[in-house]
Amino acid sequence: MLEIDALRKRYGDTVALDTVSFAVRPGEMFGFVGANGAGKTTTMRIAMGVLAADAGQVRWRGDAVSFQVRRRFGYMPEERGLYPKMRVGEQLVYFARLHGLSRSGALRAAEEWAERLGVAGRRDDAVERLSLGNQQRVQLAAALVHDPEVLILDEPFSGLDPVGVDALAVVLADRCRQGVPVIFSSHQLDLVERLCDSVGIINHGRMVATGTVDELRDRDGRRELRVVVGDAAPGWAADLPGVRVRTGAGAEVVLELDESGDDQKVLQMAMRAGRVEHFSWRRPTLAELFREAVTV
Amino acid sequence: MTAVTGVTGESGTGRAPGAAGGMVWLVARREVTSRIRERAFLVSTGITLLIVLAVVLVPRLVGSGHASFRVALAGTGRNPIGPALAAAGRPAGVGVHTRTYPDAAAARAAVRTGDADAALLNGDTVVSDGDLDGDLAAVLDRAHQAVATRQRLRDRGISPTAVAQALDVPPLRQVTLAGDADHSARRGVALVGVIILFGQLIGYGNWVAFGVVEEKSSRVVELLLAAVRPWQLLAGKILGIGALALGQLVLISGVGLAAAVGGGSVRLSLVTLGIVGQVFAWFVLGYAFYSSAYAAAASRVSRQEELNNVTGPMTLVLMVSYFIAIYAAQHPTGVLARVASLVPPFSAMTMPTRTAVGRADGWQVGLAIGLMVVATVLLVRLSGRIYANTILRTGARVRLSEALRAREPAVT
Repeated sequence: MLEIDALRKRYGDTVALDTVSFAVRPGEMFGFVGANGAGKTTTMRIAMGVLAADAGQVRWRGDAVSFQVRRRFGYMPEERGLYPKMRVGEQLVYFARLHGLSRSGALRAAEEWAERLGVAGRRDDAVERLSLGNQQRVQLAAALVHDPEVLILDEPFSGLDPVGVDALAVVLADRCRQGVPVIFSSHQLDLVERLCDSVGIINHGRMVATGTVDELRDRDGRRELRVVVGDAAPGWAADLPGVRVRTGAGAEVVLELDESGDDQKVLQMAMRAGRVEHFSWRRPTLAELFREAVTV
Repeated sequence: MTAVTGVTGESGTGRAPGAAGGMVWLVARREVTSRIRERAFLVSTGITLLIVLAVVLVPRLVGSGHASFRVALAGTGRNPIGPALAAAGRPAGVGVHTRTYPDAAAARAAVRTGDADAALLNGDTVVSDGDLDGDLAAVLDRAHQAVATRQRLRDRGISPTAVAQALDVPPLRQVTLAGDADHSARRGVALVGVIILFGQLIGYGNWVAFGVVEEKSSRVVELLLAAVRPWQLLAGKILGIGALALGQLVLISGVGLAAAVGGGSVRLSLVTLGIVGQVFAWFVLGYAFYSSAYAAAASRVSRQEELNNVTGPMTLVLMVSYFIAIYAAQHPTGVLARVASLVPPFSAMTMPTRTAVGRADGWQVGLAIGLMVVATVLLVRLSGRIYANTILRTGARVRLSEALRAREPAVT
């Protein structure tokens, strides 16, 4: 298990991280979300050892992470960086070797990852001659080329076209199946919701929510019904006790029920109003949960 | 230069090069293999070779033009002075070509039109256009005296053979206080050595600085430092670029020395090879010193454009060193030469100059090397610290006081 335990970091008077803690199990994909400047990158840089925390610890398999252990992690920094004038293939071999692969192992891995991420044809080109999207693919290959035990990726999906997004999603899911814990940050919340087993929401340097998406929904406590009634008069649900109309346009309405609200009464009323085409509890999206978490 | 932050003993991970030395080797190898293909490196090697060949060969080509004169002869006394002129010029390496003109007016005309450097009339009058060249005047004078002396001795009834024997005096044997007669050649080697040393130190120091900022501005350094320690990255970069610089130095000195020996301006001897060896040794010390200073300075900025602002002091010290060394080659026993050849980092260029012209004792060389080694070790440690503290800080230039502050505690 990769444990981030009570990290604190302060820059002058600004508190960047305030007791940030969460854990990622082997084979788990962890989506790290938060507004710009919330502390995602700082947390990931500390986990990778390129930034020192004021307090707190990062543990892998129960032990504090040492430099030698960290060399077996894979990292994609928020600020993308490769040698612009170095060839793609040589660059991947170089990073593989820096992370401890033998010469032949590095050659094989560089070839394999260039192939898997669709840049095999550009192996002999300098990185600066590639499009931004392809540079991003090379960057990912550099993070993956040494078959890392842990993956920490800062905004890996930004800058990728839909094909690239799908390719990366497949690769990450595959890594997870191999038992690798994957942490990635993203602003694309629908993507996080689709891919991640669990999610951490950070706001102003504090973790405001962690858990599986389902857990966060249950914890949310909001009760909303989505009802579609054909041929109904507008405002049919307006006078029900304990029910508030959140949105209502045409046939579809979203109703919020408090403790006294009764879903069965709503259904009866709806059937009286017209032809019920759809009636279900509505689960909040991650985007809604996020917005709620960071505006509190 | 590997003792920057101290290597902690870490157990291997079962994968190949986990050892600190292996990481430094990997970084150094990348520096060599990627830079040796760069056009800038090939062009600079070519240009430096051309400069060295020009410095070695051109004075000789120009000099041989000066050491040959044409003399117009007219009137009486033409026959004995021709061979005498050639004989008088030989020991000084001055060639004299004579040509006979029908009369004095024709000889004067030859001087006026530049067909001859001087005219000798009736064996006792020299005509020149403006000042007579000093070398030529000496040769003419010597030939004139020899012919006149021979004639007067013969007039007294002494046989031509006896006259020839009496006048056959071997030229003066030259002994210089520096211990051998190669003084000017050694000074030449010293000057060329200083020029090359200066070029290599300033050129490759800037390369190191450029390489450091390149990694910072392209942000690749964050990815690198997830796998290697700052001191490993710095040591690998300095060693890799240093290997290139040393290789280039060996090539340049080899070609330069071969040209000088082939052209006859330098004799290949143990002394000459000793001077070249010392230049190499001082290059290694000077490079270790300056390259780490350049690296530390460069790590404070994030953009190529700001590089000049922080590397200025190093460049200034190098320039001052260079001028002191040039001066020391002319005045090797002066106070400036004696002091500067001991004080680091000026000693890196001044001491090889002093030894080249044969004006330094063994203990002085030893002391200078010892002081330079101490200064270099101290500077490398300091630079390693500045580098480790600033290499991941992007944005505005990091103040020196901040860069020197104690390292942030490592994450446990």
